[in-house]
Amino acid sequence: MKKIVLITLAVVSVLSCSKSSNTEVYVPVYLNVEQPANFPEMGYNLDNNPVTEAGFELGKSLFYDGKLSANDAIPCAFCHEQAFAFTHHEHTVSHGVNGGIGTRNAQPIQNLAYQSEFMWDGAATHLDFQPIIPLTSEVEMGETLSNVLSKLSADAYYQKQFPKAFEDGEINSENMLKALSQFMLMMVSSNSKYDKYVRSEDGVVLTEIELDGLNTFQNKCATCHATDLFTDHSYRNNGLSINPKLDDKGRYDIFEDPADLYKFKVPSLRNVELSLPYMHDGRFSTLEAVLNFYDSGMTDNGNVDQAFNREDGSLGITLSDYEKESIIAFLYTLTDNEFLTDDRFSEY
Amino acid sequence: MKILKYTIALLLSITIASCSSDDDGNTEDLTGQTGDLILKFDNGVGDQDFIFGTTYTKDNGETYQLETLKYLISNVSLTDSDGNVYTYPAEDNIFIVSEANGNTAGEIYITLEDVDAANYTQVTFGIGIDQERYASGADGQGDFLTTAQDEGMMWSWATGYRFMRFDGTYTSETETDAALNIHMGSVGTAIDNYKETTLTFPNEVLVREGNEPSVHIKADIAQVFDGVTSVSFDDGYAQVHTDETTTGVIATNMSGIFSVHHVHND
Repeated sequence: MKKIVLITLAVVSVLSCSKSSNTEVYVPVYLNVEQPANFPEMGYNLDNNPVTEAGFELGKSLFYDGKLSANDAIPCAFCHEQAFAFTHHEHTVSHGVNGGIGTRNAQPIQNLAYQSEFMWDGAATHLDFQPIIPLTSEVEMGETLSNVLSKLSADAYYQKQFPKAFEDGEINSENMLKALSQFMLMMVSSNSKYDKYVRSEDGVVLTEIELDGLNTFQNKCATCHATDLFTDHSYRNNGLSINPKLDDKGRYDIFEDPADLYKFKVPSLRNVELSLPYMHDGRFSTLEAVLNFYDSGMTDNGNVDQAFNREDGSLGITLSDYEKESIIAFLYTLTDNEFLTDDRFSEY
Repeated sequence: MKILKYTIALLLSITIASCSSDDDGNTEDLTGQTGDLILKFDNGVGDQDFIFGTTYTKDNGETYQLETLKYLISNVSLTDSDGNVYTYPAEDNIFIVSEANGNTAGEIYITLEDVDAANYTQVTFGIGIDQERYASGADGQGDFLTTAQDEGMMWSWATGYRFMRFDGTYTSETETDAALNIHMGSVGTAIDNYKETTLTFPNEVLVREGNEPSVHIKADIAQVFDGVTSVSFDDGYAQVHTDETTTGVIATNMSGIFSVHHVHND
């Protein structure tokens, strides 16, 4: 009798095992990637990689998983913290595996769906490929795709989640990168005070100083910080002195074109209140320092963008104290607390 | 025994019939039939075989030797005697030809599986990655990104493929054993160095179920440096990475190095 019970139990457990694995089938539940009314059109082609619940979840797990790094301790989120618009708070440049120190300030992760080039120098020309750079950088995550994939393949969670997220169920680089993109595509920051004001939502109005700041911004800053993404996606040399310790030539490294010397991508200014420090090397820790630099701190490093030419031949954007104060008041209206505290993107 | 004789006779007649039908057109019904086709890449330098560490001389007297010789082939398609084009499935249609993976004869095999049966007259392929595949992101790449990274065929400083990787040293009147690194590729949409080449077979390649015909493709490495344009290592062509001019010249030269030496219809 005992034997029969045991056998029955064994059969039941075998059956239940097979049943549970049968439930891990691909049943896509599609998620909508927002197109805010005041944003430029999406640059990412969702037809190649529609966002699904399971794909998004997988991407989020990967984003917060140290396994993507050589010492299993440096996830993407290490340098991209949600509360600071997914930047590395208070770090000029970031540190990675084995004490490696990077050369550039971690950029925010937000509204990437509406852009088509990534990194300070545009080194990634597709969102899917962007994670390869930090993942393989010796001073960031120090890994290889094949080694990361073998770690994921040995992990019970990923063995289940990849088949839920993708029809072919493969744990391969294509699906890993697609999942990361799905997570990042959903990270849309479009509900700041400013957004509600321009979309005339909830009766939100800007204060007098915020409006003054917006006016000055539109006159003096919006050539480069254009559209409601606050970037024209161009690469420009903004006359920073050259830091000899880094000697970062910016976009020059991509094409070896002298015309690209010291050019960096015009950054978006969304959540700029929290994404400090500023510039590609994080040299300025306050917005006051940034505006003082544009007013009176620019240096001629040989290739400064013509947008900064004053009539008297000097470089800079002339700003009065009140203009600086009001621009900052306006920039604070770009803070989007809904995004910064959105549970969908939080680790816990 | 008699049955066997009849069977052989029958088989013979079928073979003869199918042979003759090849000759006078397309009465042989190949619908639904597939077979494998091997492309054998054989790297050489002029009339010499390519061998790692061997010194070769360019037209201008500069000499070079290589320790790495790899290139990417993609978008292989075949044209049959009726002009129909068969394109290998996109997700598998990308290959790394690496001299290090060659057999003792220095041939690198690319096996195309389940190719539509037909009498093929020419092959077309691209060197590198086209803009369409770049624009698709990770979609349709399977694990090729991983393979390419393991083979050192991806940039380390930006996301993209190296279309070719020739690493070694060169010697000129002014330099001795200086570094030689030809890593041509496309850079985003700004520099597109993808080029295609079409090679006509000396005789038809018969792809059939159970057959494994092969095409012996010679790649003349000399023409990478002395092709449509002759280049000088001393004059900016020892380090070719992302410069628009030098990568373009190498890409054009590279697209002209291939020729079909012979085919086997086994």
